[in-house]
Amino acid sequence: MLVRARGLAKTFHGPDGRPVPVLHGVDVEVKSGEFVAVAGPSGCGKSTLLNLLGLLEPLDAGEIWLDDVCVSRLSRRAQCGVRGRSFGYVFQSFLLIAGLTALENVLLAARYVGRPRPTALAEARALMDRLGVAHRADHYPAQLSGGEQQRVAYCRAVLNAPPLVLADEPTGNLDEGHAAVILSELRALCRQRGTSVVLVTHRADAAARADRALHLRAGRLESQEGDGHS
Amino acid sequence: MVAIRRLFPRGYLFTVLGIAVGVAGLVALGAMAERITRFIDGGDRFVLGQISVAGEGMGMGTGFTAGGLLRANKIEQIARVPGVAAVQGQVMLPLNPTTSQFLTLTQELILGVDPAVRMSNREFRELPVRDGRFLRPGDRGVVVVGADFGASRRLRVGGSLELGSGRTFQVIGVLDKTLTAPDRFAIVPLDDARDLWLRRDPLLVQVFTGGAGGLGRGDLNTGAAVAWADGADPDALARRIQAEVPGLNVTIPGELSRLLRQSTAFFSALLFGVGVLGLVIGGLSLSNTVTAAVFERIRDFGIKRALGATDGQLLREILGEALGVSVTGGLLGVGLAIAVGTLVDARGEGQQLFLFSPRLLGFSLGFSVVLGALAATYATLRIVRLSPAEAIRRGA
Repeated sequence: MLVRARGLAKTFHGPDGRPVPVLHGVDVEVKSGEFVAVAGPSGCGKSTLLNLLGLLEPLDAGEIWLDDVCVSRLSRRAQCGVRGRSFGYVFQSFLLIAGLTALENVLLAARYVGRPRPTALAEARALMDRLGVAHRADHYPAQLSGGEQQRVAYCRAVLNAPPLVLADEPTGNLDEGHAAVILSELRALCRQRGTSVVLVTHRADAAARADRALHLRAGRLESQEGDGHS
Repeated sequence: MVAIRRLFPRGYLFTVLGIAVGVAGLVALGAMAERITRFIDGGDRFVLGQISVAGEGMGMGTGFTAGGLLRANKIEQIARVPGVAAVQGQVMLPLNPTTSQFLTLTQELILGVDPAVRMSNREFRELPVRDGRFLRPGDRGVVVVGADFGASRRLRVGGSLELGSGRTFQVIGVLDKTLTAPDRFAIVPLDDARDLWLRRDPLLVQVFTGGAGGLGRGDLNTGAAVAWADGADPDALARRIQAEVPGLNVTIPGELSRLLRQSTAFFSALLFGVGVLGLVIGGLSLSNTVTAAVFERIRDFGIKRALGATDGQLLREILGEALGVSVTGGLLGVGLAIAVGTLVDARGEGQQLFLFSPRLLGFSLGFSVVLGALAATYATLRIVRLSPAEAIRRGA
């Protein structure tokens, strides 16, 4: 799947109501199976760019295409379908639901796209087993370590085998060992399943493992490094 | 276990408790209103069920038959008026004469009736007996007590009761609750009631023993309950009795009912206020609790939206949770109100303050479910207007 974003712009409003421009017409293209890192200083608009690409935030200007479909112009309902089937999200703060067990959190991804529960359950267990958190399936997020929570969140993100995974500082709250596991998984996703990955990070080592790194500064695309698959 | 938790997710304990408190308030206030309504309706049914007649004058000034002495010959004349089906002479005395002019609706009364004559009140042909039996012809020195009267004195069948002037009666029956006047009655044979009256009223004794006016025991009636024949108009019949038998105080059932309604207008207004207050307090508490619970989970809903949940899926999910929480909280609230009400009534010395009628409980549960669903819908519609990222940010 080819992801193309043209002229993405976003402005928020401060507490005093004054506009705070965050992104100024950013263009991004991600090829199928490509691992793209988005780097830059804090506040440069990295997470906002990721949210816009993932249809988690409405655009002020620009458009986003998945292959030949302009998904940014789809109806709210249709965008829900795109989010559920085409995107997987991994967030820095894990964003697991406290009232659900680890397994239930993973299965949540299948619930809204209408996947049969038995199939999803088998895949979820296999994924959790591979990531080393199967023994924690019945535990609640508060009973898991940060590394375990992020691995559960990763399982949830990839359960539906989405063509695009959007990861926002997924290693930000992890130690080196756990961070390496997550980065390796993301890397393997691209190589083995042809999944495209957009990784927001401020870690140089993480960005270095990407096929291409986009550098944002003050809401504008400053430079690109790399130009193909590694 | 998992299924129960799906219906009733973690973190909803305080929501359920909040709803329970709101519903308990609604049910408790409603039960008090129901109790007063039943009492007033019972009084209304009583006065509409018979024509009450007393002799001319002030007499005892008590009960439903305020007036002077009603002599036997007057009762015979009343019985001959066309349209009259039966006349039951009665003696009605306040248990405590010093408080007879106060709180007529709730005072305790001694009622003397002739068990050989069928009750003339169409609405109370028979009084429901819970324990023991009702009076029979030939009974003397026995009493059947109303439910509240008996409960306040811990009376049981076989026990004894002093009804003033040193006369002790054996309790042969305890009535079931009627939630109106008979709950506070002590019902004795007519001749016993006449004895009690004579012992209490020195003037009457002088008149009676002096043979003034040729008075006999049969003339000692404070009033009579008149039953009308089927098809007769009770108000018209009451006016006919007044016209054809001189020297009577005759109450017109329709007019008495209207007067009763007027005199209880304060209670009706109070009931309305209590009902509105209950709905407002309970409703606000419940809707606020459910809305707050939904908004508290705004981050979770943002995550679900990010995972592809549509507005409809989210609404169904939240409504399902709200339903589970509202029903659980509602049932707990009803249980809490009944427990507190029962406890208060048990310590109320025979005074029942609460009536937990099925219609009240049904309405309260329905109210909590509907309001819970409305509050959850409102909160959901507010949440789905936000983008997933905004919902996650606000819930962080």
